[in-house]
Amino acid sequence: MMAFLKLLARNQLALAGLIVMGLVVLLAVLTPILPLADPDVTNTPARFTPPFSEGALLGTDHLGRDLLSRLMWGTRLSLAVGFAAAFIAATIGAAIGIISGYYGGRTDNIIMRFVDVLMAFPYILLALAIVAALGPGLMNALIAVAAVNIPFFARNIRGITVGIAHKEFVDAARLAGLSDAKIILTEILPNVLPVIVIAMSTTVGWMILETAGLSFLGLGSQPPQADLGSMLGEARSALITNPHTSLVPGVMILIIVMAINLLGDGVRDALDPRLKSGALSRPLPATLVARDRQPGETADGTALLQLSQLETQFHIGPRIYRAVGGVDLQIQPGECLGLIGESGSGKSVTALSIMGLVASPPGKITGGSVYYRGEELVGAPYELLRSLRGRKVAYIFQDPLASLHPLYTVGDQLIEAVRVHRNVPKAEARAHAIELLKSVRIPNAEDRVDNYPHEMSGGMRQRVGIAMALANDPDVIIADEPTTALDVTVQAQILTLLDDLRRDRGVVILFITHDFGVVAQLCDRVAVMYAGRIVEQGTTDEILASPAHPYTRRLMACVPELGGGRRRLEAIPGLPPVVDKLPAGCAFADRCDKVRAACREGNITLDEIGATRRVRCIAPEIEEVPA
Amino acid sequence: MGRYILRRLLSAIPVLIGISVIVFAIMAMIPGDPATAILGSYATPENVAELNRDLGLDQPLVQRYFIWLGNLVQGDLGRSFNLNRPVLDEVLERFNATLILAGTAFILCSFLGIAAGVISAARQYGFADKAITFAVLLGISIPSFFLGMMMILIFAVNLRWFPVSGMWPIYGTRDIWALIDHLTMPALALAVVATGVIARLSRSAMLEVLRQDFIRTARAKGVRERGIIWRHALRAAMVSIIPVLGIQAGFVLSGAVYIERVFQWPGIGQMLVDAILRRDILLVQGGVVFVAACYVLFNIIVDVAQSLLDPRIKT
Amino acid sequence: MKLLTMTRRALLAAVAASALAIGANPAAAQTPPGVLVVGQVAEPQALDPHAVTAVNDFRILMNVYDGLVRYASGTLEVEPALATSWEISEDGTVYTFTLREGVSFHDGSAFDAEAVVFNFDRMLDENHPYHDTGPFPLSFFFSAVEEVEALDDMTVQFTLNAPYAPFLSNLAYPTGLIVSPAAVMEHGAEFGRNPSGTGAFVFEEWRANEAVVVTGNPDYWGGAPALEAVVFRPITDANTRVAEMLAGGIDMMVEVPPVALSEFGGDSFQIVEQAGPHVWFLILNALEGPFADVRVRQAANYAINKEAIVNDVLEGTAAVAAGPTPPAFAWAYNEELEPYPYDPDRARELLAEAGVENPEITFYVTEGGSGMLDPVAMGTAIQADLEAVGFDVTIETYEWNTFLGRVNPGLEGEADMAEMAWMTNDPDTLPYLALRTDAWPDQGGFNSGYYSNPEVDALLEEARSSTDQDRRAELYRQMQVIVQEDAPWVFVANWVQNAVTNDRVEGFALEPSFFLLLHDVVKN
Repeated sequence: MMAFLKLLARNQLALAGLIVMGLVVLLAVLTPILPLADPDVTNTPARFTPPFSEGALLGTDHLGRDLLSRLMWGTRLSLAVGFAAAFIAATIGAAIGIISGYYGGRTDNIIMRFVDVLMAFPYILLALAIVAALGPGLMNALIAVAAVNIPFFARNIRGITVGIAHKEFVDAARLAGLSDAKIILTEILPNVLPVIVIAMSTTVGWMILETAGLSFLGLGSQPPQADLGSMLGEARSALITNPHTSLVPGVMILIIVMAINLLGDGVRDALDPRLKSGALSRPLPATLVARDRQPGETADGTALLQLSQLETQFHIGPRIYRAVGGVDLQIQPGECLGLIGESGSGKSVTALSIMGLVASPPGKITGGSVYYRGEELVGAPYELLRSLRGRKVAYIFQDPLASLHPLYTVGDQLIEAVRVHRNVPKAEARAHAIELLKSVRIPNAEDRVDNYPHEMSGGMRQRVGIAMALANDPDVIIADEPTTALDVTVQAQILTLLDDLRRDRGVVILFITHDFGVVAQLCDRVAVMYAGRIVEQGTTDEILASPAHPYTRRLMACVPELGGGRRRLEAIPGLPPVVDKLPAGCAFADRCDKVRAACREGNITLDEIGATRRVRCIAPEIEEVPA
Repeated sequence: MGRYILRRLLSAIPVLIGISVIVFAIMAMIPGDPATAILGSYATPENVAELNRDLGLDQPLVQRYFIWLGNLVQGDLGRSFNLNRPVLDEVLERFNATLILAGTAFILCSFLGIAAGVISAARQYGFADKAITFAVLLGISIPSFFLGMMMILIFAVNLRWFPVSGMWPIYGTRDIWALIDHLTMPALALAVVATGVIARLSRSAMLEVLRQDFIRTARAKGVRERGIIWRHALRAAMVSIIPVLGIQAGFVLSGAVYIERVFQWPGIGQMLVDAILRRDILLVQGGVVFVAACYVLFNIIVDVAQSLLDPRIKT
Repeated sequence: MKLLTMTRRALLAAVAASALAIGANPAAAQTPPGVLVVGQVAEPQALDPHAVTAVNDFRILMNVYDGLVRYASGTLEVEPALATSWEISEDGTVYTFTLREGVSFHDGSAFDAEAVVFNFDRMLDENHPYHDTGPFPLSFFFSAVEEVEALDDMTVQFTLNAPYAPFLSNLAYPTGLIVSPAAVMEHGAEFGRNPSGTGAFVFEEWRANEAVVVTGNPDYWGGAPALEAVVFRPITDANTRVAEMLAGGIDMMVEVPPVALSEFGGDSFQIVEQAGPHVWFLILNALEGPFADVRVRQAANYAINKEAIVNDVLEGTAAVAAGPTPPAFAWAYNEELEPYPYDPDRARELLAEAGVENPEITFYVTEGGSGMLDPVAMGTAIQADLEAVGFDVTIETYEWNTFLGRVNPGLEGEADMAEMAWMTNDPDTLPYLALRTDAWPDQGGFNSGYYSNPEVDALLEEARSSTDQDRRAELYRQMQVIVQEDAPWVFVANWVQNAVTNDRVEGFALEPSFFLLLHDVVKN
């Protein structure tokens, strides 16, 4: 609850809405004890007194009644009506929706047909007919307005319930022999409640507007009772001559509805779990750069791609996650470098930081440099970055289903990849796309080119992903766990394919993985990452033969080596540290079986332990690599 | 696809019958009857009974319903008691006007709403986003009839840019320009609320889509930001925007009831309100069923559009 | 990016289009001379005078059709129209009319005695071949007619089943207008959309909810009208109607909302007023509850500040009513009658005398309806006045048709007080239908408050069957005194009907009958 309020308070607009709404509600509650004129006492000779006159701050209406007083009492009533209508509609609508969604089948069919019927009916006419049938009065207007909104709630809630009704925990509850009623109350309801609250909060304003609308059509509260809608409706006839009588309730409606909407948005955002992760922000075209520290070292002339002291952080609320904490990497032409680590170690963020593809906000490059052929990419103009993306440095992503656009054919997406950088005719680009598909060994490429991603298998999709990366003959391919989502045989095929391509085309590959087996098959060199930093680096052979860092050793023990027979399989106890509170010293200390006091003191540097080896450990597994 | 459309059309029939039953039942529940409405002050029980007999309203309700249904099948919606003309003629004439108004408003709110939402999302937290968010909030918080009346006061009475009301000039040519002249204000007033709703939804749909992996892929390909927004993100966001357009179409149609009254647009919304108030059962019945049929049809079109847009949906 | 340029182009086109539209139509509303555009309150139901009931429709019909007789300008007294003269038999049951020669309907067919017979038989004879072109809701106006006969081409005779004094007056009412038999035969039930009469204007076209256009009839027997054409525009919303008037979209509007009158104070508009045969009153339930006591009924009459309602709520668009008969029936109105004064103290005294200091009453108010003026505001003001002297008033508001459905069957067991208003064409109509003992709701009348006074009953019966106007006037004056004293109603207001025209319109006057006669109107 506190967290919810905090989240709400963080959203300035919602806070403004909350404050305004709080004021309005407070005034409405206090109305009976405020020194206001009687809202119903008429004084016809003093009708249409302008605002700010003696004794009537907001003037008087067409019967000489005090507008301020009527406004306050009217607000009170309208708020009550709006909330009550929203509550009634939400309760009944949700009940119908849950029952329909939970039971499904014929029940669902019949109820939803009925809801369809009601929704196809122009709602205002339905409200009109209900009011005409029930007779006059605000109460009946309330019922009418609530009734016409029930179908919307029902349909909305049903959709969500259907999604939940087939989740494992519901099946489990069912198997455990719980009654339907109990399942609905204890398993389903808590899960749809946030949605109901969200829908309700956004509907309250709408309800007030609708009662005002009914009043406009001549069906509202009983005189002399004031509600905002009927005040507006009654004042309407004097709109031209005495606009203030319409403006007073009109502006109040505006204020309330705006405040409720702002607040509703805030509530929705606060209840939406995704916002907590800061994920509801739109990523900018390129990662923000806020280098408060010096850029890294200057470029090494020989490296094709060089990362120097690269730091990338995620700023979520008051927390700062140091996902990448000063990474140095160099990739020479023709090389394949493996970047390995557990999930959460920062390897993917490192890879994405290279071309500024880290989602931003919340991501931010806060330090260091990335050089491509000696050219600084961090903080480079967006246009330069864009022109290099896909043309010189291409990416292959992990989940080929999610990373391909679901609504375009693979052909279209390949063609686009080509035409973004080269102004070639469409037909030519299409021929090229087919060539690309062939080069990644997709059979019937001519037909496949017109397939949508969902029509292909996982392996095929990843081949398309690779083809797309190859579209402009890039110098560097950054492959971010390209085989993780695939099953083992397909994995092997893809690796073979990448290996072949690398040899045929001389393309540099930065291969991100958590699997030493994969590294062994493909990479020349390996860098091991832990908690945002490189902990060990060296040639594949060296590291496989003699891991220097305890973490590397443990990591290797976790995976079966491809073709290497069964090895000890053991998980590393504990979890990687949360990168917003990194411990001093070695981040792996808590999980290390060789931990000692010195491990937790001060920064531990990445020391050279051989021509090609570096390790970040005060007590490496091996002291020195023989030259 | 053809079979799918046919199936949808067939499944609309029970919906429409359901609507007609509800309308009939509600109209029967409403106190007062057409005879009272026609006779006004002269509605003595005697006169009412006689007029009801003349109108054929003395038969039992259920029987009247089936007579109506039977005639409907033959394309006869009966005669309006009040207007003394065939319901179908009146409905078609009025619906035509509503279609022009609501159709224009719908196109306006779709384009403006989506554009505003997309721009807002693309410039999240920027000035444009804040300005649009505020305008949208203002738009969805103003009762449309109030807005309409204000527009009349400002733009028609004071500035004289547009005519106050009506659909065509009383004298002069009835060409497209004359129509646009009369249509501008009511269509805008009608579109405002729906524009706001669509803009809000488009914004959040776009934000949702922009976080997806395939957008990152497109960026990694070097696609320009415009292409990212309008080609990649919007296309995917449309999948969740289009169903809302379908719902908003219903709201626009309902909102037309107010706007038609304020701007004296000769549409079906105003006709239906009058018909309900005058207890003109057959006119209400015919009008509502017709409107509902169009709404259902429109939703089928929306679903078809949806399935054309999204190849993953099987029809 | 393609999409963007496209939308940008579309936007430009739209802007250009609307700019053109504005440019092509500078200050859109300037109606041409000779064409009068009238803002009406609603779409007409039909243009068949026998089939409609609304004053709104009568405004059009009176210009397209003529009756056998009509009200002389500025009065409610009958004068010749399509009949040049008539004779009434001694016993008051046979009326013989001599018809005007050389008149033809707009469709070219001739007006003669057979046409008159056709008109009334269509309405009254269930076996008439064109009776099914109805229904004819107001045909009971002529329920006294037993037979209509063509004595010769130009003479027609009506035989009544009993003497019925308001007969001539009813003939002057729109229900007595004469339609073209040929057009009825041609169009059948669609006649209401294809009207043909003998009037000063010829029906031209009807665009649903947009306009009814009529053009001047050059061959009109009363001389061709000055106007080329009249366009009747229905504008339901009063605000929009006022806005159209201000913007110049219409030349004339009727039923100007009281609060809007001040908008038309300048030289470019003129306001026309005319008191009419209208009375706005509160029915009191004399059968049961507090109003069963005449003192409480009188207390209500004293308690309500009618001056304030008439002058402030209605901005002078009505006058205080003294009794059940409006002053517009000058010949039958009792000039000596003084309205109940506003005297809250007297009201409290009367309540104390009656022994009910704080009577609880239920008050039916309508949202609006024919002749109801501003019923919600008036009802609210009345409630406030009554509460000030001790009544405890609960308002129940109903939409007009529901309201009628509740009030007309009688207030017994439902309410103590209800708003009501009547516009009639004869001083007989209202009291006869709403104040007699035999007019209690269970007998098909409108006496919803169950007022009963044998003296009044006798006076009304006699007045109805007397053919001598002076005698009738005498009887009505007596009736007014008694009814005022008995206070079965609270007499509140007589509507002073208004209309606004712009400065291009000349020669327009409102009639006490509330009809809109445009024959002599000129537009520059």
